[in-house]
Parts: sequence; C-alpha cells; structure tokens
Amino acid sequence: MVSPIYLIVITLGAAFLLGLLSERRTELAHFITVLALAAGGLVSFGWLWIMAAEGASAVEIYTAGTKPPFAINLRVGLPEAALLLLIYLTGLMSAIHMKDMLLRKGRRAMAVLLIAIMALAGIIMTRDIFNIFVFFELVAISTGGMVLLSDDPRALSAGIKYLIIAQVISILLLVGIIFTYQATGSLNIDFMKTPELALGGGGTLAFFLLLVPLLVELKPFPANGWALDIYQSAHPAFSAILSAATGSAALFAVDKIMDIGGASWGPVLTGVGLLSFVVSNILALVQKNDRRLLGYSSVAQTGLILAVVGQRELLGESYLFIAGGLLIGHAVAKAGLFYLSDLVKGRMLTNWADLRRNPLLVFAFATFIAMLSGLPPFPGFYAKWELVHALMASGKTGLVVLILFGAILEAGYLFRWFGYLMKRPQSNTPGTLPLRGVLVTMAAALAGWLAAYIWGELSGYDNLLSQTALLFALGFLLIDWFPAKLKNTIAIAGMLAFFWQSYTGYDPIQMIFGIIILVGGAVILLASYHERGQRIGFYPSALLMFAGLAMLIVAEQSFQFFAAWEVLTLGSYFLILRGKNAEPHALSYILFSLAGAFAIIAGFALAAQGQAGFKITALADVAADLAPWVFILLAIGFMTKTAVIGLHIWLPGAHAEAETDVSPMVSGILLKAGLFGIIVLLSNMGSPELYGVKLTYVMLWIGALTALMGNLMAAFQEDAKRLLAYSSIGQMGYAIFGLALMNHLGWLMALMFVINHYIYKSMLFLSVGGVAKRTGTKLMYKMGGLITLMPLSFFVVLIGIIAVSGVPPLSGFGGRWMFYNAILDSENRLPMIIIFISGPIAFLYLFRLIHAIFLGQLKDEHRKLKEPSFWIMVPQVIYVVLLLAFAVLPGMALQKVDTFLNGMFPEGGLNWDGLLITSDYGYWSPVWIMVVTGGIFAAVFMLLLAINRKAQKVKQFNIVYSAERPYRPETTHFAWNFFAPYRKAIWFLLLPIATRFWGGITEALHATAGFMRRFYTGDAQHYVFHLLGFVVGLYLILLGVQ
Amino acid sequence: MTKHMITFLLLLGIGAIFADLLTGFSADQNLNASAEFYATHTVSDTGAANIVTAIIVTFRGLDTLGEVTVLFLTAAIVALVLSGDMAGGFQVKPRRWPVGELLETGTRLLVPLIALFGAYVFINGHLTPGGGFQGGAILASAMLLMLLADPTRRFAHKTIARIESVSGLFYVFIGVLGLALAGGFLDNRILPLGDFGSLLSAGAIPLIYVLIGLKVGAEFSSIMTSLSESEDV
Amino acid sequence: MTLQNIAMSTGFILILIGLYGAMTHKNILRMIVGFTIAGTGTNLVLIAVGYLPGRAAPILNAAVPIETASATIVDPVPQALVLTAIVIGLGVTALMLAFAYKIHATKGTLDISKLTDLKW
Repeated sequence: MVSPIYLIVITLGAAFLLGLLSERRTELAHFITVLALAAGGLVSFGWLWIMAAEGASAVEIYTAGTKPPFAINLRVGLPEAALLLLIYLTGLMSAIHMKDMLLRKGRRAMAVLLIAIMALAGIIMTRDIFNIFVFFELVAISTGGMVLLSDDPRALSAGIKYLIIAQVISILLLVGIIFTYQATGSLNIDFMKTPELALGGGGTLAFFLLLVPLLVELKPFPANGWALDIYQSAHPAFSAILSAATGSAALFAVDKIMDIGGASWGPVLTGVGLLSFVVSNILALVQKNDRRLLGYSSVAQTGLILAVVGQRELLGESYLFIAGGLLIGHAVAKAGLFYLSDLVKGRMLTNWADLRRNPLLVFAFATFIAMLSGLPPFPGFYAKWELVHALMASGKTGLVVLILFGAILEAGYLFRWFGYLMKRPQSNTPGTLPLRGVLVTMAAALAGWLAAYIWGELSGYDNLLSQTALLFALGFLLIDWFPAKLKNTIAIAGMLAFFWQSYTGYDPIQMIFGIIILVGGAVILLASYHERGQRIGFYPSALLMFAGLAMLIVAEQSFQFFAAWEVLTLGSYFLILRGKNAEPHALSYILFSLAGAFAIIAGFALAAQGQAGFKITALADVAADLAPWVFILLAIGFMTKTAVIGLHIWLPGAHAEAETDVSPMVSGILLKAGLFGIIVLLSNMGSPELYGVKLTYVMLWIGALTALMGNLMAAFQEDAKRLLAYSSIGQMGYAIFGLALMNHLGWLMALMFVINHYIYKSMLFLSVGGVAKRTGTKLMYKMGGLITLMPLSFFVVLIGIIAVSGVPPLSGFGGRWMFYNAILDSENRLPMIIIFISGPIAFLYLFRLIHAIFLGQLKDEHRKLKEPSFWIMVPQVIYVVLLLAFAVLPGMALQKVDTFLNGMFPEGGLNWDGLLITSDYGYWSPVWIMVVTGGIFAAVFMLLLAINRKAQKVKQFNIVYSAERPYRPETTHFAWNFFAPYRKAIWFLLLPIATRFWGGITEALHATAGFMRRFYTGDAQHYVFHLLGFVVGLYLILLGVQ
Repeated sequence: MTKHMITFLLLLGIGAIFADLLTGFSADQNLNASAEFYATHTVSDTGAANIVTAIIVTFRGLDTLGEVTVLFLTAAIVALVLSGDMAGGFQVKPRRWPVGELLETGTRLLVPLIALFGAYVFINGHLTPGGGFQGGAILASAMLLMLLADPTRRFAHKTIARIESVSGLFYVFIGVLGLALAGGFLDNRILPLGDFGSLLSAGAIPLIYVLIGLKVGAEFSSIMTSLSESEDV
Repeated sequence: MTLQNIAMSTGFILILIGLYGAMTHKNILRMIVGFTIAGTGTNLVLIAVGYLPGRAAPILNAAVPIETASATIVDPVPQALVLTAIVIGLGVTALMLAFAYKIHATKGTLDISKLTDLKW
C-alpha cells in the first residue's frame, strides 16, 4: 500500500493542478476532483483492509527524515484508516452530488472542496497539536468558502458568523497550544505529559485552553448557533461533509488530545456532550425546517459521541466498537439525509411527502432514521447495547437515563418526520428527481447496510444480518415489485416452512406462541389475498414483525431477545403506519414501544453487570439487591407492549386505524410479545420484593385495573374497531392478572387466554374490518341491519362475542372456569373483586357490537352491500371451526402445557381424565357443556321460530326531521352514546387522565423548546457571547469542582 | 448597554483565565528538549543557519505546506466570493482623482527595487532573518504599489494563477522527492547540504523558499487584485 | 516584572481589547479590526512564551557559534509557530474582508446585528 502521506499529496496536488486549467474546462476540473477523492478513498480503503483484515499494527509516517517529537509525524491505525475512508467517501459522494453547483462556481470551488477534505485527513493523521491547529484553520477557511456554494442568499451571513467564531476559537487555541508546549516541552501528543485535572495555572490550565476550543469545534450547546445557521443555509451536500466528515475529524482530534489530558478530563467531555445531546434534541422538537432540524440532530449526535469519548477509560476494549458504531451510524445517516434534502423542493418537513413517489427513497429514509435511532440491525444498535451495559455495570445510572431520554426525543422527531413523509399530501407539481442525487442517496443507504453487517460481525453476538428469519423478511425488499398475491404466497409458505423447521426445538410454551405467530400469522395472511396490485412496503414490514416475533420466542441470550424485540417493534410500526389515518397513532406506538424497549435494555444491563452473552435464564441468579429493580424495569418494558392502564394510550388508535388485515396481526399476535416477555420474566425471576411489597402483587393490581378500565372504555366507543382495541387492553389485563397470580391455574388460564385471544380477536377484527371496508365507516351508529346482507359476518361476530364473553359453550368459558379456580387458589380478594366486576362490563360492549352493526334498521346507503370479499372471510371461517374445536377439546393444547407447568408450580394442576377436566374445586366437561348448551339453544331457537311464524315484514320508512336538521345528526341515532346513563354514573372513571398526562408532558417539552430556541438570536455577537460564556462557565465549574 | 455589560463580564472571565495562566507561568531557564535538539542538530541535519527557517521548512514542513495552502485557499475563496461582481466583465469606471505625479514616478522607480529585495529575502531565508513568506509579501507589496499608482491596471489573472499552481505543485513534488530520495516527506536532503553559511547550501530549503516566495507573492497579488477589481464595479 | 511578563501581559491585554472591540461594535469592519488586534496580542503571547532572558535570536553566525548555540539562543519553536499563525491570521482577515464587501454589496449594510435572517 502506498504511504498515507500520499492522501495529502494527491488531494493537495489535485487542488493545485486545478489552477492550471482554464476557467471554462469545468467538466475536466470536476473529473479531476472526483478522481482525486476516489483515489484517496481507495488508499484509505487499502489501509483499512490491511489494518482490519490482515491485522497489521498502526504505521508511523515520519516527515523531514527526523523522528518525532522533533519533526511532525503522522499515524494511521485502524480508527484512523476507518475515519479516512469515511471522510474521503463523504467528500466523493458530495462532490458527485453537488456537481451542478461545482460546475457553476468553477475550478476554485472544487479546489476548496479538495483542500477541505485534505485538511480533514490531516487532522485525522497528524500527531502534532500545532499541526492540528493548522489543519483546523484550513477546515475553517474552506468551510467559510463552501458555505457560499448555496442558492440560499442567507448563506453569506452564516459564513461571516462562522468566520467570527472561528477567529475566537483560533485565538484561544493558540494560547492553549503555546502554554501546553511551554509546560510539556513538546508539541507532539505522544511526548506530552499528562496533567491531571487541577486548574490554577500551569499545564492543566493550558490543557483546558487547548481542549475547549476543540470542543467548540464540535458545536456543543450553547456555543453552536453558528453551526445551525450553516446547516440551514449551506448546500446540503456540503452540510453532509460538515456533519459526517468534519464532525468525525473534530471528535477524533478531541479523542487524540485526551491522550495528553488523561482520564480525569473524561467527565468534562461527558458532561458537555450529554448537555448538547439532550438540549439539542429538545430544541429539535419544534423545528419545522428540515435542514435546521438535521443540524440540531447532528449537534445532538456529536454530543452523544463526545460523551462516549469521555467514558473511554471505562469502556476499555469496547470503546472503539461503541464510539465507532455511533459515529458511523450518525455519519452515514446524516450525510444520507442531507443528500435527500436536496431532492426535496420545499424546506418544510411536510414537504418531504414528495419523496413518497419513489419507494427506493422511502427505503433510504427509513434506513437513515433507523440508524440514527439505534435500531437493529445497524451499528448504533450494537453500540447502544454495549454502552448501556458498560454504564449500568459501573453504576452510572444517571448517564443511562439522560442518554435514553435524549434518544427517545430524537426518535420522536425522526419518526414524526417519517410519518409526514408517508402520510402528508404531496405537492401538486412533482418535478423529476435528479438521477445523480438518487444514486448518491442510495449509495449512502447501502453503506449503512454494509456497516450494519460489519458491526454485526464485530459484535461477538450472532450477526443479525445472518439470521434466516430476518434475511427472509429483508428479502421482500428485493422482490417488492412482484404482484402482491405472489408475495403473499411466498410469505405464507415461508412462515409455514420456518415453523416446520423449528417446531421440534420448542418447549410447550414456546410451541403455543410459535403456532400463534407463524401458523396463526399465515392464517391472517390469507386475508391479504384480497389486495390487488403490488402493495409496496407491506410485506417487508409484516415479515419483519413476524421475524422479530419468531426470533423472540427462541432467544436464549438477553441480546438476542432485545434485538428481536426491536425488530418486531420496527416492523409493526411500519405496518401500523400504513393505515389511512394512522400517522399520529403509529407515532405514539413507536414512542411508547421505544421507551419500553429502553426500560428493557436498562433492565437487562442492570442484570448482566457487565457479563457478556448474558443468558435470559441467568435472570434467576441476579443479586438480591438488584433483582427488584431489574424486575421493575423489565416489567415496565413488557407491560408497555401489552398496554397496561396508564401506558395504554397508544393502543386504541394504532390497532383501530391499521389496515383490515393488519389489525388482527397487531392485536391477535403482536400483543402476545408483551405477554411472552412477562412469562419469561416471571418464570425466571419469580416474585422479588421491594420494601416488603411483592412485585407480582403490584402487577396483579395493574392487571385487574387494566381489565376493568379497558372494558369500561370499550363500552363507550362509537368506533367498532376502537371498541375491539379497548377490549384488547382489558383482555391483556386479564392475562397479566392470571400470570401475576403465580399459581398453576393462573398460568394455565393466561396461556389459554393467549390462544383464545388470538383466535377471537383476529376473527372479530377481520369481520368488523371487512364490514367497515364495505360500509366505508367504522362508526357503529352509521351501520345497522346488516344481518340480512352479511349473514356470514353476523354469524362470525356472534360466535366471536360468545367466545369473548366467556359464556358457555365456547372456549372463553373454559378460560373463565380456570380463572375462577385460579382465583380461589389465591388470597388476593380485592383485585379479585375488580376482575369479577369487569366480566359483566364486557357484555356491555360486546352486545353493542352485534346489536348496532347487524341488528336494527338498515341504512339507505347500505342497501346494495354484499358480504366482505372472499379472502377476508376465509380466515374467519377457519377461526370459527377452530373455536368450536378448541371448545370441545381444550386438552389438545393445554394438557401438555399443564404438565409443563408442573415444573414451575407443582401444586394445583388439573386432572385430565379423557374428556373430563377436574380441579380442586370442581370439574369441567367441555363436551357435555357443548351438548347441553347446544340443546338449550336449539330448543329456544325452534320455539322462537314457531312463535314468530306469524310475524309480518314491514318496509322501513324515513323519519323526516320536523323543522330543522339537528346540528349533529348522530345524536338522534339510538346507537349513538348507547350507554349514556352509565356514562353519567361513572364519568370520573372515564376521564382521559393518561392521555392528558402524556399530552401534558409532550406539550411541556414543546413549550420548553419553543422558549429555549429563542436563545439563538442569529446575531453573531450573541454567538460570541455564548462561546465565551461556555468557556468561562466551564472554567468556573471546574474551579468549583476542585 | 447590557451588551457592554455582558461583554465586560465575559472578558473579565477570560481575563481571569489569562491571569491564572500568567501567575502559573514560570519561565524556562534552559531550552526544553525540542529546542535543544534544534539548537544542536539543525546544522548537521539541514545545513541551515537560520534555525527558525529550518524548523519552518523542514522539521515542521507540513505546517508550512498547510500555511501555503491557507493562502491558496483564501485567494480562491476571495475570488469566489467576489466573482459574482465580475460576472458581467470588468466595467471599469474612470477614476475621479488622478493619483499624482509623485506616486506614479516613485512607483516606476521603486517597483523593480522592491521586487529585487523580495527575491533577496526569500533566497537568503536559510541564512538570515527572512524567508519565503516575508519575501513573498514584499513582492506583493510591489504589486500593491502598482495598483495604487494605477488603479485601473489589470494583471493577467491567468499568469498569477499559473504561478500559484505551478509553484504549489513543485512544492508538493519536492516533498514527495524527499520521500523517494531522502528520509521522508519534505526532507531537504534531496540536494547536497553544501557549505554551511553559503547561498547554495541547506539542501532544498532555498528552493522551497523560492517556491513559497513566488506562491505567496502570487496569492497576495491575487487577493489584492480581486478586492481591487471588485471595488470599481 | 520581567520583560517576558510584560510582553505576555501586553499580549493578553491586547487580546482582551481586541475582543472587546469585536464584541461591542456592530460594524463588521470594526469587528475585523478588533480581531486583528486580538490576533496581534496572541502572536505577542506566543513570542513571549518562547523568550529566554538575555539570549539571542536563533540564527547561527559568528556571534552565535554552533557549539554554544543551546546556551545562547531563545526557543526557536514559538518563532516558527508565530510565523504560521500570522499567515493564517492574514488569510482569515482577507477572507472576512471579502465577506464584508459581499455583504455590503448584497444587503447594503455592514451591521452584524442585521444579519439575523437565520435564527432559532
């Protein structure tokens, strides 16, 4: 490999060479520029390969034939090579992306670009602090020049602001350098002593002045107004360089000089970095301009990485993996987003809806925000995992809380933006997307996936990108142009094959979940045959969710579990967002899910205490003082997914606004992920106590209250799908209650619930969704009398509500029976009473479902409706058969589970005697119940037929309003506000307290951001105040700390 | 008023830091290790009499390359910034005031002398105080004088740009030669060190300083002409 | 007070004066003048740090023979650094002047507080 000094030679030489060209030969000049950058990229790649694949050690490059510290030397090791590659590739892609602008401005602009890249490479390689200063000045000056390559006239003022700040920085830096030199007798980083943190004259103060200006180059809050202005007004391709390349180089410079400063300066970096991370993310919440938003996000991410640099002693060997993962994720994603922003005409976030025309760009955007949010399979995910583990293991909980808080804010505005992109109206005059820009963006996205693979290989865990399930899901991205029906067949076949492959390894509990996820998912997918066209994006999302679920149930290590958890969250988010009015609901879904996931990662990290490859079963061995906290964190995470009361506000919208075949997936299957988590948690950790309170007892209460409130709220819904969604909340409450009982029957009941809930909720969502598709509304008072037009749907709903309500003869009754047995086993009377009360409430809403939709008068506009399409009915019929079968023979599934549970709870099992099931309190004979209830039903039905024989059919007549049209016509409908009396009685229970609480938090954050950002007045002199205030403030704080 | 107050307070803080530095400062009594090395090894390693020059051109040659690049960059950006004004050709307005006999004649007399002096300064950079930057600046001052005497004068941009580029390329090339023929990038020992104290000594240092002088002169001229030409529009 | 301390203090004071000017004057040209003063102060500090009392400039000749050089010259490194710093400062100043010119040409003002179209 040629010496790395040639990076500087080639790039600088090319810049000088451009001066020899005539002004008009701009194409040639651009070609030379691209060639030089590509050559630089190649050299960097060569070195990276030598370092990474062949394991070579770092090379030293001496200049002037003299050894350091007497002459400047350069060094290229693994991190240097990687950063050089990043810088050159960013430069190359930006040069290609902004070709038009460069051609317009001529060869000088290209020379400036080349020198900027050369200087960044210099910062990376050099080991001399004054040399760093020189290269930084080159970067500063070229930044001043590059800012002007913009169509935005405001770039000029951004440029002068930047130069003013750069002047102040360079004054401080020079003073810092010369005094550090005086104190240490050298300018070479490797030969300088390490002054410990002790200000008050001498070398330490000098180091302070050396460090702080470099920190300011990282745009820390509050000294960063200038950077935001540049991001907002510069050409996005240059902003990409500023964010990805300059940011990385400056971070590396800080990392280098930390060799001089020593570990005692780490907390300074962490403090400054985290402040930036959190505050910038808050400020970004109210930002509507896309590029300024990206600026805030850049500043925030840089702050996070800086915080990690501050912890490098603690992180030890994994430091490079973590910092590198965060850095590469940030750099690639930010560059990609800036490139994308050039393809969007308007500067509002909502203007990005125009990108929707090109699915490739949507894919790229999704890739970028997943990278920034640290979601799998991208490097940031692995980095986040390791970082949180390392910090938790050393008791730095505060740092973890701040990091995760900032991360959830960032996810908030990023996913909101994705929602805009997918759901907001497009502009009327879509221009054509420039091919060059699209290609560069896609290259960035591909680079992101490549990095994801590399980090997976480096991680020491199974590479996520080599998991069959995940690859199968991602494979649908490649065949997304196939017709939907073909993809549907592939998906169903794939899921069944995967089940066939893996079912032998399942234990009975996994088997239940495995069947529901893979086979049950395939059954729901049958309904998807009704869709025509390509249905772009549906299959990758759905399969991502199923892949995550399938990986979840077989996970052995906490890492695998968490990765699967994030995968299924991401997939289901994309899936939910597909619904027509789903934008706000999908957002609140992903935010609650991510926050829950953060609780889970913190819980696992706390449990692992730095132990790599932590097994889930090892949760049982967590030290007694940590166990309750681990339990609480994990339980919060899992119960977010099952939407317990208080954390439930995301569910109704997300489930109700999803597409017809998506609702059953997310309700019938996805919710089970949370239950599975709780099962794993309880079966391994049992019931730890905190301050004398059994935590399962708390969970019991939560379950009971959730059941009550979910059912209550369901009763007052007007929207049929929302009703079902609230009902799910209540049902999950039952299941949690059963598990929290911690006895044999409670668990058996919960597992039976898992099966039952899958069947009847999928069935009801499909039938109600199918009806809603025909009628064009989900509001029940707008339907009515559909029994004659859709008898099959009516029958399905009837069976469904019998099953849900738990009356004989269907399997719901079996669940109830076990439930009451389980309760009798337990001593918790008060929550028990609540659970008893919520039972009848279920009748209230279930009754409405059949009554308002199918009975009563048929609406005029519905007279010509037909049964929902064939494919939507198919799974419903399967479910009816299943329900009946499961009712007669519950033993099929449960007996094995019952035996399995004996391992955990030897007491109180059931006796399975042929078709008769006996408990300590009584017996249950499903077949006899079926026969008896069937007989009674048939007798009453015949009787009614006989009585009703003389009934006459009459035509419906319109009731015309006598004088005026009511202001809200629905108020005159009998089905509207059906339970008004109850509402009057228990209004205080129905107050949307949780919604108001979370809404209040959101508003408070937005208000804070709206107020705080006025701090950036745009006046350069105020920016100088901020900068000097930052320096003086840091100085005073450090003095105070001593 | 608040602005003055804030400024005052902030600078008080900065002043406190400086005062802190000052009180903590203890002057060296002897040269530190680096300076000691330069004092004892400069002659044997580089053959230059001016130690500062040896440091600038050789030991810290990479800094100097960067420094030259700074000027190149500035010249390019200044031209870029002001290029909008020159887009429509150079519409030169006649000056309202004559510059005066004294200046014009003085210029004719002084320009060659100044140029000669500049060349002297950069060629002797390794022996006496001075060097490429100083010499280049002196060269450019001759240019400035010409501009003052005749503001409508136009220099050949192409020539200036060529001088800039060619001297820059040669500078980089000499650096690479050091890599190939001597101990490393920018090693001056690609040429014989010669007799200590004579003009043709110190290896490549005089050559590099000539290039730097030309380049700096050209760059300053380029900046000045850009500024001067835009002023007329 | 030694010569060195006086020079260094003067440098610091110049930096503060320059910054004061740059932070209180709204006219960009005046700000540039302020930064130039501060830059000069910085250079003075640099030189002062490298000064050793009673020693000669680091140029070897008959008066400063090679043999005794290490005992008779001042530290040459800061002198080399200051040259680089001066040139860089000059580059930035030229660039700022060009910006100022362009701003005046396009916006008709040199008042920095009026360039706040980018904010928040």
